[in-house]
Amino acid sequence: MTNLNVVGKSVLRQDAYDKVVGGKGFPVNVSLPGMLHGKMLRSPYPHARILSIDTSRAEKLPGVKAVMTPKDVPQIIFSPIFFMPADSMAIHRDMLILSDTVRFAGQPVAAVAATTAAIAEQALSLIDVEYEELPAVFDPEEAMKDGAPEIHAGVKNNIRATPSFGAGDVEQGFKEADYVFEGTYETQRVHTCYMEPRVCVSDTDSSGHITIYSSIAHLFGLRERLAYALGLPVSKVTVIQAPYIGGSFGSKLDLAYIEALSALLSAKTKKPVRLEHTRYEDFICNARHPMKVHLKTGVKKDGTITARYASTLCDTSAYSAHGPEVIMVHAYFGLMLGYRAPHTKWEGTVVYTNNMPGGAFRGYGAPQAAFAVESQIDEICEKLGFDPIEFRLKNTPRQGDPHPFNPEWKLGGYALDQCLHKGAERMGWANRAKAGSASGTKKRGIGMAAHPIWVSGCVGFPDIYEHSGAIIRLNVDGTAYLSSATMDIGSGQNTTLCQIAAEELGLKFESVRLAPGNTDNLPFDAPTHASRVTYSSGNAVKVAAADAKKNLLEVAAIVMEANAADLEVRDGMISVKGAPARAMSVADVVKRAESPFMVVGAEGPTPTTLKEKGTIMGISSVAPPANASPAVAEFVEVEVDTETGQVKILRAVYAHDLGRVVNPAAAQGQVEGGLQQGIGYALMEKMLFDPDTGACLTSDFLDYKMPTAVEMPSKIECIFIESNEPTGPYGAKSLSEACLIVPAPAIANAIYNAIGVRFHSLPITPEKILAALGKL
Amino acid sequence: MKQLISLEVNGDVHEIAVEADATLLSVLRDNLELIGTKRGCDSGGCGCCTVHVDGKAMYSCMMYAVSAQGRKITTIEGLGTEERIDPMQEAFVKEGAVQCGYCTCGMIMTAKQLLHDNPHPSEDEIRHGIAGNLCRCTGYHKIVEAIKTAAGNGLPHMKGQ
Repeated sequence: MTNLNVVGKSVLRQDAYDKVVGGKGFPVNVSLPGMLHGKMLRSPYPHARILSIDTSRAEKLPGVKAVMTPKDVPQIIFSPIFFMPADSMAIHRDMLILSDTVRFAGQPVAAVAATTAAIAEQALSLIDVEYEELPAVFDPEEAMKDGAPEIHAGVKNNIRATPSFGAGDVEQGFKEADYVFEGTYETQRVHTCYMEPRVCVSDTDSSGHITIYSSIAHLFGLRERLAYALGLPVSKVTVIQAPYIGGSFGSKLDLAYIEALSALLSAKTKKPVRLEHTRYEDFICNARHPMKVHLKTGVKKDGTITARYASTLCDTSAYSAHGPEVIMVHAYFGLMLGYRAPHTKWEGTVVYTNNMPGGAFRGYGAPQAAFAVESQIDEICEKLGFDPIEFRLKNTPRQGDPHPFNPEWKLGGYALDQCLHKGAERMGWANRAKAGSASGTKKRGIGMAAHPIWVSGCVGFPDIYEHSGAIIRLNVDGTAYLSSATMDIGSGQNTTLCQIAAEELGLKFESVRLAPGNTDNLPFDAPTHASRVTYSSGNAVKVAAADAKKNLLEVAAIVMEANAADLEVRDGMISVKGAPARAMSVADVVKRAESPFMVVGAEGPTPTTLKEKGTIMGISSVAPPANASPAVAEFVEVEVDTETGQVKILRAVYAHDLGRVVNPAAAQGQVEGGLQQGIGYALMEKMLFDPDTGACLTSDFLDYKMPTAVEMPSKIECIFIESNEPTGPYGAKSLSEACLIVPAPAIANAIYNAIGVRFHSLPITPEKILAALGKL
Repeated sequence: MKQLISLEVNGDVHEIAVEADATLLSVLRDNLELIGTKRGCDSGGCGCCTVHVDGKAMYSCMMYAVSAQGRKITTIEGLGTEERIDPMQEAFVKEGAVQCGYCTCGMIMTAKQLLHDNPHPSEDEIRHGIAGNLCRCTGYHKIVEAIKTAAGNGLPHMKGQ
């Protein structure tokens, strides 16, 4: 596929100029006439029953227009997650918009709408709530013990779910092994730290129809979930598509309290109501699930894996939400599918605690898994003297193999071998010193991690949406509008989707623009999650563009008196193949199609034919035929200061088979941003809570530390391998999440190489390093 | 109790009634509708709200509006528009330093200050210079490249732009 004109080029993203001069399009800027401002009153207790709420003093405050308490809201039990049908049998529903039982510190118990945010805030202090405090539990292992506080009625030992799967006989597999390795790996609760706060404005009309503007990463998910929680049909909710939102990384994929409460407050006051999170509210809204993974691997002397066993304990927090789903993706695509073994078994436990809600975060359970798997492989190779590259290649699938998740799919384009070999060569892996052999107080080391199997969306997952739609409309000036319900959360997907449309239509990139819409006039699209948009939405865009092009060429064929099959489009010009002089611009053909039936020219009125009449459009609503796996390997060089415990990342080499690079600059941006989040996960980020009250102690950026420009390496090298995936648009498959799955284990392995100490829990802080070196 | 203040923003003088505890950020956004200045944390932790006050980059969430009286304030809207773009804004676009874009305006205001104080910074000086501005999308790599470009020591093809 060498004759691509637009795909494969680093075209400038379409929203960049708008964003550098002010960024008008963010939902945080939405303001409507007569708009009220809402605030939520949150519980100071992690577990309590509300005995009474007295709002009379708050209601008397001038400027207060409405106060909501549990008795004012529908008591419909829902799950907030967007990517499954609201009424799915497979989903765990256990939340209320406002409940008389509080299960985490900071859970909303009441809400106010007032003429200003300051008045609403003041009104909160005038609401009198009488709580009956209940015993709380924050440690998932404590929560499972007999006699632990019951968080949800009837859920024995707070165990929400105990999924498991396996193949063969794992005990037999360990008997066949020459060596068995076993370890426990723990990861912490971290926050996505999107920069634009969650915000929404709801506007309810006299018929009760809700129009909502929200910083959300899934328009149709918000429509369906909001309608469900309010007991309304979906047709009573319209979600407006913002041109872009200020980051998500998974966090903006479930119904937030603000959306439900703004809709209810708007319905009550008949005015638009805006709610915006404070940064504290963002921090306690959702976070990556902390997990404890026990991993056991049996290996033969020749490096063949005979058996793999794992168990995972997942703290799903006060509510189920993503917990029962994230643990399945974690188990299949994080822990088990990447490395072959004839005998496997996995057992999971999802436990309620009185902690803040868990959520989606880029990688969805896989970073927790990769830390365990890739650390243990490093331990195996170190102990048995295997080359870590060759060991991985020996136990992973190859191009053309059946997909380990669904053997009906093939690994069509798949080049993990190239990721490993090219990355190793660029890093100088062959010159890696023996672990712990560095001299001096500042010790350098290199490490690597791979992730053999990951997703491009959710095709094949039970009860998870995956189809996408697109509409392409051609304009009389020869340009095209693309409409798609996917949300650009920052990755630049609106630009890459326009590149795919331009390529298929035969237009210049500048001629295609993404035109935002809403849930009334756009076809359904699944969320911006699961690394799916380029592959899945891109596929739908390509189908819609091909449809529009077919219609365009049919009109051109009439006007040009040629066969449509003989025509081609390039750079906005339609010509007869092999006879470039017989050409007409796309603009002229569209003008003809959009013209009045009788066209008046110099020679008087001339009738056109009915067949050439009508707006030239293309439309699609499709799901991709498979779920293509990317392949990835990352190599990092670190320097550990053994006096201070500080770890500096000196260099990263990231090799990723993404099928086809649609926009190289945007792709590099995904890698570089993923590394920032990965360094934070590996070395510094951890949400902390008061052990008695459960209150979040890291609820702003002064206390929650993420990497700044200073902590990032100046050398981040990307190697993109184009295996040309047969099921992807122009051969493309996924990129985003893998960029954050591999950094933490690669860094942990590099630290081991530098100082000879293995860490089994994240983050690897200076304190942990100094303690391990016997200096604390 | 509100008080009337006079604020000079981007060369225009505004008479505004503000609460004594209103931050410069809230007045810029809510009263003057200069929405290029973003609220990210309201606690001096992220840098999204960075503006210039008397030519110095400041977190506008950490300054009372009443304290900004008699001082010259410049926001991103005063730095450049799409028609008359500032070279720093252009460099951010061309180097791919913009992803979600929420931190971008604050980052550009800080970067302008950095080059004003130090026209030819080393990469290390750039990284320390923007360490008070957080970005969660880019890993800062292309932001650093954009600032190098704007300083005239970046990619050869960008020189002179």
